Amino acid sequence: MPSGDYSNKMTRVLGWLAVLGLLAGLVAAFGYAPREVIQGNVQRIMYLHVPSVLTAYLAFGLVLIGSGAYLITQRTGWDRLAAAAAEIGVVFTAVTIVSGSIWGRPTWGVWWTWDARLTSTAVLLLVYVGYLLLRAMVDEPDARARYAGVVGIVGAANIPIVHFSVKWWRALHQPSTILGPEPSPIATPIALALLVNWIGFTLLFAYFLSRRLEIASLEEEHA
Amino acid sequence: MSPMPDNWSYVLAAYGVAAVALIGYWCYLSARARALTHGRRGRGQST
Amino acid sequence: MTAYARRTWIVLWKDLLTERRSKESLNALLFFALLLLFLFQFALGPDRDRLRAALPGLLWLGLILAGLLGLGRSFVTERDNDCWEGLRLTPGDKSAIYLGKCLGNFVLMVAVEIVLLALFGFFYDVDLWPAMGRLAVVLLLGTTGLAAMGTLFAAMTTQLRARELLFPVLLLPAQVPVLLATVSATEAALLGQPLGEVSHWLKLLAGADVVYVMIGILTFEFILDA
Repeated sequence: MPSGDYSNKMTRVLGWLAVLGLLAGLVAAFGYAPREVIQGNVQRIMYLHVPSVLTAYLAFGLVLIGSGAYLITQRTGWDRLAAAAAEIGVVFTAVTIVSGSIWGRPTWGVWWTWDARLTSTAVLLLVYVGYLLLRAMVDEPDARARYAGVVGIVGAANIPIVHFSVKWWRALHQPSTILGPEPSPIATPIALALLVNWIGFTLLFAYFLSRRLEIASLEEEHA
Repeated sequence: MSPMPDNWSYVLAAYGVAAVALIGYWCYLSARARALTHGRRGRGQST
Repeated sequence: MTAYARRTWIVLWKDLLTERRSKESLNALLFFALLLLFLFQFALGPDRDRLRAALPGLLWLGLILAGLLGLGRSFVTERDNDCWEGLRLTPGDKSAIYLGKCLGNFVLMVAVEIVLLALFGFFYDVDLWPAMGRLAVVLLLGTTGLAAMGTLFAAMTTQLRARELLFPVLLLPAQVPVLLATVSATEAALLGQPLGEVSHWLKLLAGADVVYVMIGILTFEFILDA
């Protein structure tokens, strides 16, 4: 999967590990995990959706760290980390939202419900797409890193605020809706399958990050 | 309580979209890396 | 008064004085508010109840739209008159500039709000007086958040080519929680509920305001040096 002489060793290793992890995840999701009683096999989308959102949050956590560290140290390596993590985070967030929407259609009958989780994730997407747009529209590298750093911090600081505001807003408007059956407590096979998939996604994220950082270094050499 | 129908088409759609997005992103990264390394090699040889 | 406070006051006073003399921004924004009123009426149709039901949302939508217009121009005078270097060379803690600008924007937005409320009362035939005290609290909290973020992003985008595009793109997602909170609290206020009912929203707003202003104060100099 990783292309031959363009990547360094660690990136290639991560790539193969990611492939293994994802394959194991697929086996766990479709072979090992049982058919869920209430929702049927549609529930298997969760093995994609939940690890995806966890990976997105990992990515945005790194954006915060990169932005904050750049603000403090002004070493461009941190800015490269923030930019790479944001880009990958947006990809995983998009996957989260689309998979959540597809899961929602047969489950609740609609393509989109303004439920707290989906809405918060969508707002997250908006924030970080804005971040990437800012980066794209500022040519001067120093200014770009500074502005992006601040926007990264604002975006991250807003995450808990958005979470609560959307949750309370949701409670106002649909207090009695049973928003999709959530297995509580979660059966062990399901939890295990989730874990395996989550590990696979995290490995994939690490591979993407490593690759993206290599590209960023190359671009800096060229500039 | 009657269980829901299986809706495999939706499962397929979700995994399919995810695959397209992730593989697509990988292709994008590869293309970018290739362009940068080729450019570098060409520049190195011409110096 | 400490030097910091004095510097903040000077920036605020300069902006207010400039505005009072030229009245550029304020007049245009007030006219914009009037236009919005007509727009909302035309968009939502003649059904008065529908407008009344949407009132909290329309109020804050109007304010945010006015903010997009008015706040983006926070540093326009400095940019146009080649004073940007002057800002960067100011001795001492530059966050005082941010605070002064933020307060100036706050005053501007409050002025627009007051007019907006009056216009709403007049054109849409709603009696806002009974709720005025509670509304004022919500307005002050919400406006602080808007001014804090707007001033920061304005400083960022002033020097950029794509400022008209980037300013809304950055500000709107950041304002989502403020919008949710203020509309919910306004709704409650207009329904006659006491503020205690929405104390969680108010606390969220207050907390968010503190966070936004702090980030602005801490990062303004960093942005200025770009």
